[in-house]
Amino acid sequence: MILMMAWRNIWRNKMRSLVIILSIALGLFAGISVLGLYQGMMKSRVRNVIDAEQSHLQIHNPNFKKDYEPKFVLPNGPSVLKMVDALPQVKASSPRSITNGMLATASGSSGVQINGVIPDMEYKTSQLKAKIIEGKPFDAARKNQVIIGKKLATRMKLKTGAKLVLTFTDTAGNLVSGAFRVAAIYRSDNAPLDEKNVYVNIKDLDNLLNIPGAFHEIAILLKNDGDVGQVQQLLKQKFPGYQVENWREISPETDLLVKTTDQYSYIIMVIIMFALAFGIINTMLMAILERTREIGMMVALGTTRIRIFLLILTETIFITITGTPIGIAAGWFIINYFNKHGLDVSGMGGEMMSSFGFGTMIYPEFPIGKLFGVLVIVISTALISCLFPAMKALRLRPSEALAR
Amino acid sequence: MADIEKEAANKETVIDAHNISKVYNPDTIPVYAVNNVHLHLLKGEFTALVGPSGSGKTTLLNLIGGLDKPDSGNIYINGVDITQLSSGELIDFRLKNIGFVFQSFNLIPVLTAKENVEFIMLLQGANQSQRDIRIKQLFSQIQLEDKLDARPAQLSGGQQQRVAVARALASMPRFVLADEPTANLDSQSASNLLDIMAKLNEEEGITFLFSTHDQRVIDRARRVIRLVDGKIVSDSAAVATEHA
Ligand SMILES: Nc1ncnc2c1ncn2[C@@H]1O[C@H](COP(=O)(O)OP(=O)(O)O)[C@@H](O)[C@H]1O
Ligand SMILES: [Mg+2]
Repeated sequence: MILMMAWRNIWRNKMRSLVIILSIALGLFAGISVLGLYQGMMKSRVRNVIDAEQSHLQIHNPNFKKDYEPKFVLPNGPSVLKMVDALPQVKASSPRSITNGMLATASGSSGVQINGVIPDMEYKTSQLKAKIIEGKPFDAARKNQVIIGKKLATRMKLKTGAKLVLTFTDTAGNLVSGAFRVAAIYRSDNAPLDEKNVYVNIKDLDNLLNIPGAFHEIAILLKNDGDVGQVQQLLKQKFPGYQVENWREISPETDLLVKTTDQYSYIIMVIIMFALAFGIINTMLMAILERTREIGMMVALGTTRIRIFLLILTETIFITITGTPIGIAAGWFIINYFNKHGLDVSGMGGEMMSSFGFGTMIYPEFPIGKLFGVLVIVISTALISCLFPAMKALRLRPSEALAR
Repeated sequence: MADIEKEAANKETVIDAHNISKVYNPDTIPVYAVNNVHLHLLKGEFTALVGPSGSGKTTLLNLIGGLDKPDSGNIYINGVDITQLSSGELIDFRLKNIGFVFQSFNLIPVLTAKENVEFIMLLQGANQSQRDIRIKQLFSQIQLEDKLDARPAQLSGGQQQRVAVARALASMPRFVLADEPTANLDSQSASNLLDIMAKLNEEEGITFLFSTHDQRVIDRARRVIRLVDGKIVSDSAAVATEHA
């Protein structure tokens, strides 16, 4: 009977209840949209990290990443590469020779990371070919070609066909340099990486470094994200003494970003609910003040305070959970819409997004995994906000309440 | 023999109040709403508490009903001193022992007439069939069998008060306290309500203590207690005893 009374009590003041139900729906809608937006952004960031930047796994000589010294090549690189490619979980792999050096033109210079790659393998692993916006991919017939990022090209005023000089040290510590011609300009969603990474043919780089046929890194793209742990274990066993890292280890900032964003989204949810709590408290207080006599009468007749409390609690929960599905449904619709059509943010801070490694198109995702957490937050809000009004009701003395 | 037994049963004490007083605003301008009152009520009595407005009728009924605590004195109901009970114990005591009819806004507006009566029985933990039987019986006694599913707002004032009487009786209380139950009723409805209360008193032996300042209602009472400024100034039972 308490359930029935609570439900009917809500509709005694339809307008007031509707307003609060709708604000809960709206708050939830806003919260879920933000969660969906964040989740979509994080997902695409992770996709970028894996598909366009770091791949799933990387293998190095354990000494290499300390100082990027060219002498720390991957021991038996070609045979390791062969075994990696033979694994059924592997979709693509790319061997890279890597060194840090200086890019110089007639007008200036800039520090860069020079990646020597086997074009076809690199194209399949980090989508370098797909990222090209000007010029043509590597031409097998030509020597000393370089592909540079858009950001760097703009800063150094470089166009395709322009000449530049790359300078670095070889394995013996001698300063070496080579003249290269810009074959193409690429652009990814990560502007800082574009500014730093230039790509050359591995043969050209190995010649200059004096490590013919060797390389420093194998980047491995898997068919399934879920296989990362398993393949990493396998490679560690097969190649003891090699450094085998997954994308979370290679790019800990991305891992951290994903985790902190999760926390942030809950904090946002809590803030929204905190604001709503005041609305709920106010509504319930008014509802109880209006019913002072009635509650006093119920207590006089022998209704225990626990039951009065339960009645108020149930009313609050009803109001809250009536608004909840409305808010969730609205959130689901809007997120699904933008998930299909994409949300173009290039007009509002796309530049900034790119400098943090995000695409300018966001495809929000319905945060199904966070729904439980959201519901816990919503219900706790209802519980907490009914406490104060309930206290008020429980403190009523029946003789005084009846005298009103 | 039968007469003596009946007499003994009728003499069973339900309310025994000693020296009870209630003072409002003791620190500023004290109001002695109930001033050193003795009250002795027997089972089956049909008693009117009479007095002008402000004479302390409501306060006295609240004290006897355990809705308020006296500043001094003791109130025994069936041998239990209710002034010693905690407010939680009082709630349970009221539910089990006392039926209440108030002056107005008696019923819970979101419940139908039937649900209002059922509410008390649910609080007492009565099962479905017990409730159904009792509801049928009570609504026949208050002659509102056709209004079971009406909301209070759909009932007249008199009908609402009759439902309130049914609800007061639903819990099988030891007595019913009614604070000016006819105050907001026209004379026809008032007399109708009194008929029902009197009939319940005669046929079922229900003990009623009701306050009023309406002479026509006073005329229906079998015992009349007059209150002025919180003091009992006359009691027809005492007079009757003296004359006996
Ligand atoms: N809560 C209260 N605070 C202060 N004075 C009160 C309160 N309730 C009643 N009184 C005073 O106590 C006296 C008795 O009131 P009441 O019992 O309501 O009388 P009645 O019901 O006979 O009209 C009145 O003088 C009234 O003003
Ligand atoms: Mg009164």
